[in-house]
Amino acid sequence: MTDEWTVVVGVKQVPDEDDVSINPDTGTLDRADADAILNRPDRNALEAALQLKDAVGARVVAMTMGPPMASPVLETAVAMGCDDGVLVTDRAFGGSDTWPTSLALAETAAYLDADVVVCGEETTDSSTGQVPPGIAAHNDWAQLTYVEDLEARPAENRVVARRDVEGGHERVAADLPVVVAVAYGENDPRTAGLHRKLYAENEFEPVELTADDLDIDEDAVGLAASPTQVGGMKTVSPVEREREVVDDPDELAAALAEEGVV
Amino acid sequence: MPTADVEDHEDVWVFVEEHDGDVAPVSWELLGEARSLADALDEDLVALVVGHDVEDVAQEAIQRGADRVLAADDPVFEPYRADPYGEQCRALVESREPSVVLIGGTHTGRDFAGRVAVPVHAGLTADCTELDVDEDGHLAARRPAFGGNVLATIKCEDHRPQMATVRAGVFEAADPDPGREGEVEFVDAVVDEADTVTEVIERDVGETVDITDADRIVAAGGGTDGDIDPVVELADALDAELAASRKAVDEGWVSHDRQVGQTGKTVRPDLYVAVGVSGAVQHIEGMNDSDVVVAVNNDPNAPIFDHADYGIVGDLFEVCPELTDLLEGVEDPQEALA
Repeated sequence: MTDEWTVVVGVKQVPDEDDVSINPDTGTLDRADADAILNRPDRNALEAALQLKDAVGARVVAMTMGPPMASPVLETAVAMGCDDGVLVTDRAFGGSDTWPTSLALAETAAYLDADVVVCGEETTDSSTGQVPPGIAAHNDWAQLTYVEDLEARPAENRVVARRDVEGGHERVAADLPVVVAVAYGENDPRTAGLHRKLYAENEFEPVELTADDLDIDEDAVGLAASPTQVGGMKTVSPVEREREVVDDPDELAAALAEEGVV
Repeated sequence: MPTADVEDHEDVWVFVEEHDGDVAPVSWELLGEARSLADALDEDLVALVVGHDVEDVAQEAIQRGADRVLAADDPVFEPYRADPYGEQCRALVESREPSVVLIGGTHTGRDFAGRVAVPVHAGLTADCTELDVDEDGHLAARRPAFGGNVLATIKCEDHRPQMATVRAGVFEAADPDPGREGEVEFVDAVVDEADTVTEVIERDVGETVDITDADRIVAAGGGTDGDIDPVVELADALDAELAASRKAVDEGWVSHDRQVGQTGKTVRPDLYVAVGVSGAVQHIEGMNDSDVVVAVNNDPNAPIFDHADYGIVGDLFEVCPELTDLLEGVEDPQEALA
């Protein structure tokens, strides 16, 4: 390992959940017009990675898996301060659930010689939170999830994290290489500087890596290697609400008393 | 890819999460729900207990419905760490070949579940809210899909075990039956402290709130514009927990452990008061199981009114103090207002 750490940040393009609404009468989702954006929790991951770079010096590389149209999230990452961006793209990856997805990203992290992999807590389109531990498990690396604060300890070859656990916090040290999932909203993601933004938009080209480049057997990824299948969707009847607008707090207090909840 | 020999796998396992002897409530909820799955499959219900000095926890698992308990009892497992827990559970799953493994969807459960599912190539479904057995004997795990009132059914027909993390607060815990009998088997720890790659430096629990247990919740949204005092005072008057929308958390007005919604907590209080909350899909998903929902918002077209029982269109900085005065210090408001 060279002196300088390599920090790899996993990012994903998702539909903007703020553009999605529920039809209150049918309970169905309206996501037709949703823009494709960078998964919001990933901004916290990028900020945590760039803070490591600020603290100890590191090469920070963003990685995303998807078709070429997913690469704008890499531009965003580079504009924020990442040194480079990698698009992991191959038809063989199509239909992957979290098992092959984390395999492909684990292989990418290993290919890039990652010391630290930083991810967001979960993606807002599938919200499993399974990919960061999956990357760690595929490579048999240490992992730290729900991380609120991350400190580099290069002399010890470790990081120390403050983790959010039920009912409190803990501080945990982990040997490198390590996969870190940053708790959503726990830092203030920096805005892109103008110069960097222009570079990202006009000059930056992501490195593309295929299954072949990563030495991944095509049968080990994609739909066929995904243990889970979606076996149908069912619409739950929308929760019936009174939807009664009252005129003033007196009337509201009376209604709540009637309901027996105050 | 090789797939598991499905027929060789049997028994329903529930991971019992304990920290220093305290069991996460979701574990008992899962044991209650999994009892009916095991009965439907005509298989044993097995509790998996990992920790140190867990004899009492193991006995309680029997009383709460387990036929058998597998207990890995060793200092290496206390306090919790992902690598020794994952490795121990992986080894047991590989050697005993259960059909189903259920894990509470806590930070702990979601942390280590993948360290079992990945090496054994098991299907892992996240954050389920319904569990069933289909006509072919496969687990049908249902989870909310991308907000809203749509449940996706996830199956895992060709791989074993079928694993799922399950949301807290969805199922009823079974009461312990002191007369229930079952076998507790202590298994060897397969993890050595020297092989671990993490070290817990300190652990401090009991300092943060858990809004998922609250009977009443008052939530602050973007409409407060950062002045959450009126919301806090209303919460105090109602003896309620303060909660917040994503906007209020992103802005730093309220801490993340109080966030309700898709990237926060799912709550089911008797009364949920949303103050200055617009009602984005992700927020609704986290509070839609509340018994009575009240919305205070100055925008009559805010989506939150479609998901509320009672709404007041008005300035929260006027409505909240008035409501606080009406409810404050009233021992039995129901009587006082009658």
